[in-house]
Amino acid sequence: MATVPFDRSVLKVNQAILMTVIVAGYAVGLVWHPIAWVLPVLAVMMLAAVATPSCNLPRILYLRWLKPLRLVQPRVVQEDPAPHRFAQLVGGVFLAAASVFVVTGLLLVAWVLAWIVAALAFLNFAFNICVGCIMYAQLVRIGLLPLSHEPAR
Amino acid sequence: MILLLAPLIAIAAVAGAALLLRVQRSGQRELVGSVVEHVARPGRLPSILYFTGEACTICHTAQRPALRTLAAGIDSGIEIREIDIAVEPELARRYRVMSLPTTIVLDAGGEVTHINVGFASGEVLRRQLVDAGMPVAA
Repeated sequence: MATVPFDRSVLKVNQAILMTVIVAGYAVGLVWHPIAWVLPVLAVMMLAAVATPSCNLPRILYLRWLKPLRLVQPRVVQEDPAPHRFAQLVGGVFLAAASVFVVTGLLLVAWVLAWIVAALAFLNFAFNICVGCIMYAQLVRIGLLPLSHEPAR
Repeated sequence: MILLLAPLIAIAAVAGAALLLRVQRSGQRELVGSVVEHVARPGRLPSILYFTGEACTICHTAQRPALRTLAAGIDSGIEIREIDIAVEPELARRYRVMSLPTTIVLDAGGEVTHINVGFASGEVLRRQLVDAGMPVAA
């Protein structure tokens, strides 16, 4: 039987980075507001990862260091990667929106959006509940997302 | 200090969304034991509804081959109906399909007995068919 190998550990690394940076950034941001500029950096990281695997920093980190050093074990499953990419896109869009609010000085709104991303990342990291994937399925079902073949990677 | 509200607002929003999701998911589980529509052939054998989509890679590479292998090894009276959600969105809505692939096992009367969200192996489906009333070869 042909299979689509998909290593979930890449997603886990991505989620761990998001949670760590957002929570740490928020803690620092309570006393030093300019740290909020970390949110545009995260937005670029997320959107670049969606755009092309060669720009996927968590994937590079995982493949070059975490996996060879056995710090993170592979979790290869048979799965369609398209919903997860869509979920990453949603996270990237949220962080991009947060970045706009950083630029305009509305830090409360920016951090609320960032915390939503962190909370969703936690749900996926800890419980494998991928809200973005569910959104993807719903959007395909009602025809708002185009049907296209998504290569596994 | 108003920034202290940020995680509270965000967590409340996500918790609300998760609650809605849970309600929706439990809605699908509530289908077990009910007849959504008479797509099966009453009086005959159990059947499987296989919800798929063009973009669902795992459907084509894993679920469909598993179903074909299953079909080859069981009574020919078992119907496995493949449903593309883009072609039949109304049926997917009625069965509350939220993820692909989804396989739903119906008994001979069309009553939902099992719902599998995600890939379901042939062995699992075979057990579920037996549970739904498929005769077991001696």
